[in-house]
Amino acid sequence: MAAQQDNGLTVQPARTAAQPGAATPGWPTSADQRIWTALGAVFIYLRSMAVFLVIWHLGSRWVGNAILLPSPIDSAEALVELFADGEIFDNVTASLSRLGVSFGLAIVLGVSLGFAMGMNRTIYAMVDPMVELLRPISGIAWIPLGMFILGVGEALPTAIMFYGAFFPIVINTVVGVQAVNPGLVQAARVLGVSQRAIVRHVIWPAALPNILVGARLGAGAGWMAMVAAELIGAPSGLGFAIEWYRELLMTPKVLAFVFIIGLLGYLLDRLLRGLQRRLTPWAQAGGGLT
Amino acid sequence: METLEKMTPKICLGGITKEYIAPRTGQRTLAIADVSLDVFQGEFLCIVGPSGCGKSTILNMIAGLARPSRGELVMDGKPIRDPGAERGVVFQDYALFPWKTVRENIEFGPRYRTAGPLSASERDRIVRHYIDLVSLTGAENKYPHELSGGMRQRCAFARALANEPEVLLMDEPFAALDAQTRLILQEELLRIWGEELPRAARKTVVFITHGIDEAVYLADRVAVMSNNPGHIKTIMTVDLPRPRRESLRATAEFQKLADAIWQLIRHEAYEATIDRH
Ligand SMILES: Nc1ncnc2c1ncn2[C@@H]1O[C@H](COP(=O)(O)OP(=O)(O)OP(=O)(O)O)[C@@H](O)[C@H]1O
Ligand SMILES: [Mg+2]
Repeated sequence: MAAQQDNGLTVQPARTAAQPGAATPGWPTSADQRIWTALGAVFIYLRSMAVFLVIWHLGSRWVGNAILLPSPIDSAEALVELFADGEIFDNVTASLSRLGVSFGLAIVLGVSLGFAMGMNRTIYAMVDPMVELLRPISGIAWIPLGMFILGVGEALPTAIMFYGAFFPIVINTVVGVQAVNPGLVQAARVLGVSQRAIVRHVIWPAALPNILVGARLGAGAGWMAMVAAELIGAPSGLGFAIEWYRELLMTPKVLAFVFIIGLLGYLLDRLLRGLQRRLTPWAQAGGGLT
Repeated sequence: METLEKMTPKICLGGITKEYIAPRTGQRTLAIADVSLDVFQGEFLCIVGPSGCGKSTILNMIAGLARPSRGELVMDGKPIRDPGAERGVVFQDYALFPWKTVRENIEFGPRYRTAGPLSASERDRIVRHYIDLVSLTGAENKYPHELSGGMRQRCAFARALANEPEVLLMDEPFAALDAQTRLILQEELLRIWGEELPRAARKTVVFITHGIDEAVYLADRVAVMSNNPGHIKTIMTVDLPRPRRESLRATAEFQKLADAIWQLIRHEAYEATIDRH
């Protein structure tokens, strides 16, 4: 594939079309090429999905027990049914509203604490050991204790999801605040700007890319903690529904809910990624510190 | 230049010593020792010297970003303790805010400074004026990462100017640029500084550079620094006529001055270079 140029150098033909997602921005791709790249990506996606579905189907035939492993067709039917009778929407709403509350709280408290720790050494020295101690403990570990204290209801899953989302947000905020280029703070100081304006207009935007990374990680962790918390600690929600249908031995519905959890988690991450691109265009463009 | 000496200085450094103490090891570095320097209203002062002799240290202290360990640092009779809008700084790495456009960067000082921030319409006028002055018209809404090196430099310069400081401090502002761009910006700098204006209407400039040619071309006076510990060796007066033009560089007078400065620092420049390898 190597082409010989008249200067004697050997060059590889550009192969951007073969790597979707890795297409360099600003690289001279024509509209045609872009469409082919997109189509190629869709094709690869469909192909791997098809392979996965075929293996699943063969596996379920081999197991031969619809309770242990239902076929993809049964599962799809169950999914359609859940949409048709509207059952899915109640559970999705319950779970998403818990996520909204816990994630919102985690953002507000996590970012505040992260700023305090990032900007004040004393606070950092005081709080950091506690954060480091609690952080490695999975939120799930707190569920039994949480059931004693909070009982089964809204509070328990919300608290567990908050716990999962909180630490990634705190830690990434601290990193973001501490990593602010001191040159930029100096540049603001020599313009005669107040400390408040520096926090608002220099430290905040400089830390924002890291904060958003923390938010994405936090949302993911909260979403994962949700299922576990709802399995035992809630009267509604996606995790609750999984446990409900497991007890009824209706495995296709269980799988349908698992699929919904995955899909929503994915969409949530896409949403936050879009927000990241929207809020911090300079960081996406690889613009360094200047 | 005799008139200069009779004036009261705008900025006065009296026997300044700066010692850095490493936070953990407690190791002391004597960056500069007993530096005395007067900077006069409307003058263009260049500081040259070997790497590590304390040029940035002096500039940062005038900016108020660092405090001297000993000695007096006064501007208009008042001691300098903190940064202030009356002393603008252009940093070597520009330090533009990456999340702000050219316009927003330039607007930053007039908008958020504690001393007399401007209203939106006044700001607009000022920003437009300085964008035109540094020839960034058409790039107002670009982000720093979308600019060339020379454009970033201009933007940093306009940001400092738009805050309308009395004193402009520049730390090797052209060091990262290619030779042609540097020559062009040097000429522009003199134009913007107000070479044609009477001295009282000019800004006071302290300009650090490694380029001896650059120093002679720009300056009214050149402070030549020396190492171990950093101190000012001589202050040369550059009595070349203004406005200055490119052709000046070829004259014998210019060459003589440049050569004299080079003779003063060549020995240490070699040493500093060899040390670093
Ligand atoms: N924050 C610091 N902590 C400790 N030592 C420092 C610090 N800043 C500068 N120094 C030391 O002080 C001396 C002078 O540094 P300075 O940056 O002022 O030199 P400079 O003349 O600007 O050099 P260059 O031309 O390379 O920019 C150097 O020996 C340097 O190692
Ligand atoms: Mg320096």
